[in-house]
Amino acid sequence: MSALEIRNIQKRYGDVETLKGIDIALESGEFLVLLGSSGCGKSTLLNIIAGLAEPSGGDILIGERSIVGAHPKDRDIAMVFQSYALYPNMSVARNIGFGLEMRKVPPAEREKAVRETARLLQIENLLDRRPSQLSGGQRQRVAIGRALVRNPRVFLFDEPLSNLDAKLRMEMRTELKRLHQMLKTTVVYVTHDQIEAMTLATRIAVMRDGRIEQLGTPAEIYDRPATLYVAGFVGSPPMNILDAEIGGDQLRIAGSDELLPLPQDFKRTAVPGGRVKIGIRPEALRLANAGASGVRLIADVEVMELTGPELVTTAKVGEQRVTACLPPRTPLIAGSTQVFSFEEAALHLFDPESGRSLRAP
Amino acid sequence: MPANWISTRAWLLMLPLLVVMVSVIGWPLVDTVRLSFTDAKLVGTEGSFVGIANYEKMLTGSNFQRALVTTTWFAVVSVAAEMVLGVLAALLLNQQFRGRAALRALMILPWALPTVVNATLWRLIYNPEYGALNAALTQLGLIDSYRSWLGEPGSALTALIVADCWKNFPLVALIALAALQAVPRDITAAALVDGAGPFNRFRFVVMPYLAGPLLVALVLRTIEAFKVFDIIWVMTRGGPANSTRTLSILVYQEAFSFQRAGSGASLALIVTLLVTILAAAYAALLRRAAGAS
Repeated sequence: MSALEIRNIQKRYGDVETLKGIDIALESGEFLVLLGSSGCGKSTLLNIIAGLAEPSGGDILIGERSIVGAHPKDRDIAMVFQSYALYPNMSVARNIGFGLEMRKVPPAEREKAVRETARLLQIENLLDRRPSQLSGGQRQRVAIGRALVRNPRVFLFDEPLSNLDAKLRMEMRTELKRLHQMLKTTVVYVTHDQIEAMTLATRIAVMRDGRIEQLGTPAEIYDRPATLYVAGFVGSPPMNILDAEIGGDQLRIAGSDELLPLPQDFKRTAVPGGRVKIGIRPEALRLANAGASGVRLIADVEVMELTGPELVTTAKVGEQRVTACLPPRTPLIAGSTQVFSFEEAALHLFDPESGRSLRAP
Repeated sequence: MPANWISTRAWLLMLPLLVVMVSVIGWPLVDTVRLSFTDAKLVGTEGSFVGIANYEKMLTGSNFQRALVTTTWFAVVSVAAEMVLGVLAALLLNQQFRGRAALRALMILPWALPTVVNATLWRLIYNPEYGALNAALTQLGLIDSYRSWLGEPGSALTALIVADCWKNFPLVALIALAALQAVPRDITAAALVDGAGPFNRFRFVVMPYLAGPLLVALVLRTIEAFKVFDIIWVMTRGGPANSTRTLSILVYQEAFSFQRAGSGASLALIVTLLVTILAAAYAALLRRAAGAS
């Protein structure tokens, strides 16, 4: 039985189609991240699950029961908002317990639940304070507590970490992961941050223009991107995408004499004119030393940027640019010609028209 | 440039304004205080010093006491009704519906009308012979015969309060609407998910955002209602049988109708003091509210 099933959900605002048929089935305990840039429809989908917006078509089931049209309070969900959305005039304890209060849970039981939740989130000492007296991280904990205390079937998170500074965001990310591992709750989490998506999710749905571009585990999304969009969206720096042509069993990078072998699982069907786009992750590239295995690629080094843990190097292959993440102490000189190498398995091929991966499934 | 020159120049630049203010506000105020201790008439006698006799006479007189009750009643009822109507109108205009923008603009109209125009308009509505109110109530079968709403001591004050409410609730509605629009959408959504119904959402989520701005509206409207003059002067002139004679009307009558400048001045100062106390009390209230949030 799925904990949450989204069936062909559509949403139109006048002539604008925000969601064009979304299908996802979620097992109990899964952590699904809806990942996409702004305007892709991810927040709309979350609001539809929460009941804050109605779909134009399709159905949503929580534990076999259709919830479309049901009041948000009757859906057995809880939601954490980007702005925390704490009630400014209530104490932390009342904020956390408000949902229970509205559901007429007896005060003694309510207080016990609030205390337990506060202990779990290490905010017991803040229970008497007002939201205005809390830091951003503390407010976020209270917002999470407000969701946790009700013990709903599905938790919804709407970009919960994007108002926090970088350091706190990392801490809270770990905290969320810890909570999820401990409580085994079912979560739908919206973000545009691919690191959050990769680290938190059991599955990621990469969304674009109201559709799911790819649905898979973080490893699948990273290792086998289904489209050029996913390849470019997940990963930092993004995957190198180069124009290339197929000639026999080899690939020639457009505008250069560089030849690469065709990957073995490459689908040979339907590539008009033999033109393809190839993708190589910057972190798959390294400097080739004598006797190194893998595919070789000769490029002219343009710029090196030391970020600390790595040396982000931009080089030119013909007229196209590639980025490589090299070890920080790599001795390089701008303007020099270098031989890079990578494993054949790290080479991705995409149809330049549809953007779809040309890898055999 | 030295700092004292900047400050001197600032004073110089403000000087024309200060001269105007002293001559049109400062001097009359001082003169009113002086007058209030004399038995001066509006024309003729200069008046001689009588000590606090004017104050004694006014404060103990039945006219003053009755006018104080009338004024308080007028202020409390009309401001309370304006608050309720204003908030309800704001809640309505905060909903999504077709023609909302037009309705929001229309709502300002009564408040934008000059008070004298509004008062004349309501006099027509209340007219005992051809007024719309009489016609409407008769046709609905609620009254048997036409009544003189402004001519009967029992109904005149209520009729005035209705007219005043109609004019002033839009201000409260406008302030409340602005406050409603400041309620974060996420918080309303959170309350929905938390299971709060319409009443609880208003009480726990919306009210905290409304309270501050409404308090400001309450301060402004109470002070204004306490000083009310023009609408009453145009509609009833304090009658019938002095049933709508508020403090400001009494001051006017004392000083100008009865031409008793001395006692009129003392009465005016008493009213000023009462309004100042009100204003100070509210200011304290506002400060406390600001400190709490």
